[in-house]
Amino acid sequence: MNILEKILIVAKYTLKEILKSKVLYITLVIGVALMIVTYVATEFTYGVPEKVSLDFGLGMLSLSSIGISIFMGATLLPNEIDSRTVYMVISRPVPRWVFITGKVVGLIGVLAVNFAILSTMTLACTYLLGGQIDQTIIMAILFTLLECILLLLLVVFFSLFTNNILSSSISVVILLLGHAVQETQQTTFVQNRELLGKILSFYHLVLPGFYKLNLKDFVIYNQSIEASYLWGSFIYGATYSAFLFLMIIYLFNKKNLD
Amino acid sequence: MLKFQEITKVFKTDLIAQPFTALNDVSFEIPHGSMVGFLGANGAGKTTSLKIIMDFIRADKGRVEFDSSMGKNKIEVFKKIGFLPERPYFYPNLTGTEFLMFMGRLSELPREQIKKQVAVWAPRFKIEHALERPLKTYSKGMLQRVGFLATIIHEPELIILDEPLSGLDPIGRKELKDVIVEVHRAGKTVFFSSHIVSDIEEICDRVIFLKEGKLVYDGAVDSLMNSGKQNDYLIKFRSVGNISLSAPHHNWQHFPGNLNVITVNEAAKSAALQELVGGGVEITGVELIKPSLEEIFYKIRTQ
Repeated sequence: MNILEKILIVAKYTLKEILKSKVLYITLVIGVALMIVTYVATEFTYGVPEKVSLDFGLGMLSLSSIGISIFMGATLLPNEIDSRTVYMVISRPVPRWVFITGKVVGLIGVLAVNFAILSTMTLACTYLLGGQIDQTIIMAILFTLLECILLLLLVVFFSLFTNNILSSSISVVILLLGHAVQETQQTTFVQNRELLGKILSFYHLVLPGFYKLNLKDFVIYNQSIEASYLWGSFIYGATYSAFLFLMIIYLFNKKNLD
Repeated sequence: MLKFQEITKVFKTDLIAQPFTALNDVSFEIPHGSMVGFLGANGAGKTTSLKIIMDFIRADKGRVEFDSSMGKNKIEVFKKIGFLPERPYFYPNLTGTEFLMFMGRLSELPREQIKKQVAVWAPRFKIEHALERPLKTYSKGMLQRVGFLATIIHEPELIILDEPLSGLDPIGRKELKDVIVEVHRAGKTVFFSSHIVSDIEEICDRVIFLKEGKLVYDGAVDSLMNSGKQNDYLIKFRSVGNISLSAPHHNWQHFPGNLNVITVNEAAKSAALQELVGGGVEITGVELIKPSLEEIFYKIRTQ
């Protein structure tokens, strides 16, 4: 049996375990809310109900996926250690890196299911209300998925050396700063203070700039996106995710599982 | 099969607290084909030792070595090990079948072989009726049994169990002990920790005894039992009237039905018996006082 097969086995049962839990009920609740909002939008908005529906759908997709990433990422390893299930797996011919890779792939699978359900509903509602489904919307959805994967890896990374609450809190703070850092750098307040500017530049260099993966404004304001911008953002997100993932594997290999 | 050599493990909980030495230069061996009990009070270092053997945590000093017959690298060795942690909870939303398939597949078994193994063992563990139910609906005993099935599903050479009998009712304990003995008779090496001395006395041929992170005893159960032997005998007899005994004795106990029990040492045994028979009493039994492993364990623990 090859390594890839073992990764997929761990991923499959991780996905199965989570899908059978009630975590994805939130997706269904949001889906129902989306339909209600769409109905209300058709009744009370003038001329742009499809925009309201799309805006709400993308927002909810993003929020629910961020919630799922933080919740699942923070509890992934502590739960495995507390319930001693990690011992059952890595006491078999399964290297630690295979275990953690399979777990992360399984969690990305859960995110993908959430995305598949909510984005299908969002796009269907927009289409039914007469909106256009263009490439920018699809890209915005895919980049939100990439953002959530990056966030998930960030939470798992912090959960390796802090507790649930701290890893979630630190990740939320980094997520918020990562969205605000660019605009904050451009404010007069920061530009008039050299030290603050340097601190933010350093932050920008080290911690993830989530704003680069946020394409929702392009959708809302009907702006086109240049291919170079898309590629640049994608490479940034993918490289940062790969770096975090390698760090997770390195730390998990070193970690005392007690 | 397994050598645990000069292992020391110190835990540092935080920067201020004093480091805690969980294992202090502990060495022992698990011979091929043996059934070894790992004894010690709570906190003696048993689970820490097992975690070091399984490479869940790393020792500060010393090394764990597996016999070359187990394999050349960790992956090969771990194919031949079955490990059951203490009080496992498993994945609550998976069914018993899914969980066993998951564990079996990770042990590189084909699906068909897993199904065969489950068909053989599930009735023995009385869990076949529950296999399609989520594990969160299982009782503690059922979880322990499904965990043990997962541990032996790939027919490992070395079975390591951390407190496998804890939390089971008397019938469950008996059934699990019977299976442990059965797999041992099939040629498997079994190493299991317990703080319940009678379980180890009942089924193990060797015992390793830890006290406060140090090795206190490593050897045959019989030798440990003999080391605690005092060569005292109990003489049980019935007498109707008052009777005196000049042979050295102690601890004379009277019971209903004119039953008396005295304790004598080996040197005084014959003289005491002759005197009692000469006095016309009915001797109902003579037996060597054999302390249980529990008593020896308690004695060593409180020394």
